Amino acid sequence: MKRHWQKIITLTLAIAMILSLAACGGSTATTAAPAATTTAAAADSGETSAAATGFDWKQQDGSKLRVMFNQHPYAEAIIQKIPDFTALTGIEVEYSLTPEENYFDKVTTALNSKSGDPDIFMTGAYQVWEYAPAGYVEDLSGYINDAGKTSPEYDFADFYPGIVGSLQWDLVAGHKTGSGPQWALPLGFEMYSLAYNKSVFADLGLTPPTTMEELKALLPKLKEFNGPGSYALAIRGSRNWATIHPGYMTTYASYGAQDFVVEGDKLVSKVNSPEAVAMTDEWVQMIKDGGAPSWSSYTWYQAGADLGAGKAAMLYDADCNGYFQNVEGASQEAGDIAWVPAPLPEGKSDIYSNMWTWAIAMNSSSKNKDAAWLFMQYFTSKEYTQWASVNAKVVDPARKSVFESAEFQAVLDKAEGFAATFDAQIANTGIQFTPQPHFFETTTEWAATLQDIVGGKYKSTQEAMDALKEKMDEIVSDVEVG
Amino acid sequence: MFSENQSLLSRLIQNLLLIIYSIFALFPLFWMALITFKSDLQMFNTTFFFTPTLDNYKAVLIGTDYIKTFIDNVIVSGGAVLVSVIAGVPAAYALARFNFKYKEDLAFTILSFKFAPEILVILPLFMIYQKLHLYDTYLGLIWVYQLITMPLLIWVVRGYFEDISVEVEQAAELDGYPWYSVFWKILLPLIKPGLVASALLAFIFAWNSFTFSLQLSGFNIQTVTVASLRYIASDTVHYGQMAVAATIAALPEVILALLIQKHLVRGLSFGAVKG
Repeated sequence: MKRHWQKIITLTLAIAMILSLAACGGSTATTAAPAATTTAAAADSGETSAAATGFDWKQQDGSKLRVMFNQHPYAEAIIQKIPDFTALTGIEVEYSLTPEENYFDKVTTALNSKSGDPDIFMTGAYQVWEYAPAGYVEDLSGYINDAGKTSPEYDFADFYPGIVGSLQWDLVAGHKTGSGPQWALPLGFEMYSLAYNKSVFADLGLTPPTTMEELKALLPKLKEFNGPGSYALAIRGSRNWATIHPGYMTTYASYGAQDFVVEGDKLVSKVNSPEAVAMTDEWVQMIKDGGAPSWSSYTWYQAGADLGAGKAAMLYDADCNGYFQNVEGASQEAGDIAWVPAPLPEGKSDIYSNMWTWAIAMNSSSKNKDAAWLFMQYFTSKEYTQWASVNAKVVDPARKSVFESAEFQAVLDKAEGFAATFDAQIANTGIQFTPQPHFFETTTEWAATLQDIVGGKYKSTQEAMDALKEKMDEIVSDVEVG
Repeated sequence: MFSENQSLLSRLIQNLLLIIYSIFALFPLFWMALITFKSDLQMFNTTFFFTPTLDNYKAVLIGTDYIKTFIDNVIVSGGAVLVSVIAGVPAAYALARFNFKYKEDLAFTILSFKFAPEILVILPLFMIYQKLHLYDTYLGLIWVYQLITMPLLIWVVRGYFEDISVEVEQAAELDGYPWYSVFWKILLPLIKPGLVASALLAFIFAWNSFTFSLQLSGFNIQTVTVASLRYIASDTVHYGQMAVAATIAALPEVILALLIQKHLVRGLSFGAVKG
């Protein structure tokens, strides 16, 4: 009998706990303080310009937006200006800031749920190839062309065509970016060039390379230039897609090699073409002759940090990677870093730099699309980009007027050769990959093959690239073309 | 004389090995604490000798809302363990003492929550949480953390209850104790080592949990595991600041473990020896 009672009481306690938790939940949910919600602050000059153009920035007054940011200087710049945006538009903004390592896991889950939360998120161009075909991203073309929704001062034509074009795509796998709906708007971007330590070069009486041949000749001269552990050239090497897209892809495209072509109704990998094999062979030799001793674990961070710490004499990576090391107090070699364009392959006259862009996109399930558009418009406007480039670390602004402004050029004067390199490369800078939804899989496989070649797993580069071609063809075999 | 020498020698060797092991075990902690005082500028060029600075502490504790994320983590992990103890101990008792249909199936189901990869269940949970407005709330995280804390607690405590003979309870009842007094005065003191050890372990697992707090919060609530990663900024890794964040995040676990060390060792070895 007693046992019976014990059972009943245990069960009652369990039910009571669940009910009390549920009740407690209601109150927690409603009382949680929106720590990141901004309050109105002093309006900036945006209001004056709004008055001049007659554009109604208050059209979504009282709306509330949720934004997901990746931890990045571009996001930090926006966050500083959110109070100004709220004052101008009356739109409140809540945001989350997630480290890059896990940012896309979070965004993908949120978009996948189609709950409309967040309204806006940061993205890159390659992610658009995954998100847009799945219907997660809003096409922005209609908003840009709507005079009622877009301020006449916005000046879409001011964006560098290659940069804004990298976020346009007609959703057909195999078709290049640069046409079709606008899926996101760029906050800033990066191109790939050669950063070098100018005092090391001056001490050794060397000149920075302009061609791959000159670069190769420099490698033995810079071996252990600063004692044991120091080496000539920092490049990424980890088993990850991010190893392929900077310097490697820039040189690959400049060689005239392609990743995929459309043959019939299929995407076919061309990584075993003669030019692709020759380029990869040269790249591998370069790693062996002058790369970091633990190259195969190198990501953006290690590559950049080695240049900053004086362990590497050169860095072939994003221009801003070296730039961040050059800021006063950021590293030991700050102030000693200079830039030249990416080295040209033999017999070629143009560099086709690949690029990465951090952009903002709108969730297609958002319930506040017009307010979200005002946010996107404000934070990609000339006025904001100018402020962010001069006062925050947006070193590669996507707008031409900002890059050319005297104020921004004065900022760049501290970085020798940065502006000249930018000018030399910008015309041919764009996405050098073929858009397809398995981008991350194919490029990670590519990086793995690169490691295997350096590690001596294959008899020849040709054999390795033949094997890689087969793997890549297999991965994209389900992709419908046209 | 010879045997005295031998025992001295063996003790020397033992101590030497222990010293070597403790250096091996403690060095990562020492290294982490050391680099909290290094500036970014000296991070890659110096090892043990450098100009110490408190800039990293200033940047983390004053420059960011790290303290808030720390408090969030205390609320969420502490809350999760509390709920697990309140609900888990009676559940463990029921599973140990009562005989009912599908008892073992139920026990195994509870344990299986621990096996499920978090990333596998996160999407449906995310959608349910959005609907129930549990997304980004303390309660939501405390609830989902039950997947981490509850099975561990139930299974450890159940073992302890099973080890206590029923006669002990019957004797107390015979002495006139009502059932709740039996539970409170007789059973709870007997399972205390196990309860403390499993609650501490559950707290550590909850404290270190990453995926749930990454996916199910972020706007208003953020835990230290997610916040610590923010010092890997896109421009550079601020190792010094990350070390400060990690050192502070490790403190509650270390302090708790030291405070209840006695129970912990007993709690974890008790059942095993008896088994």
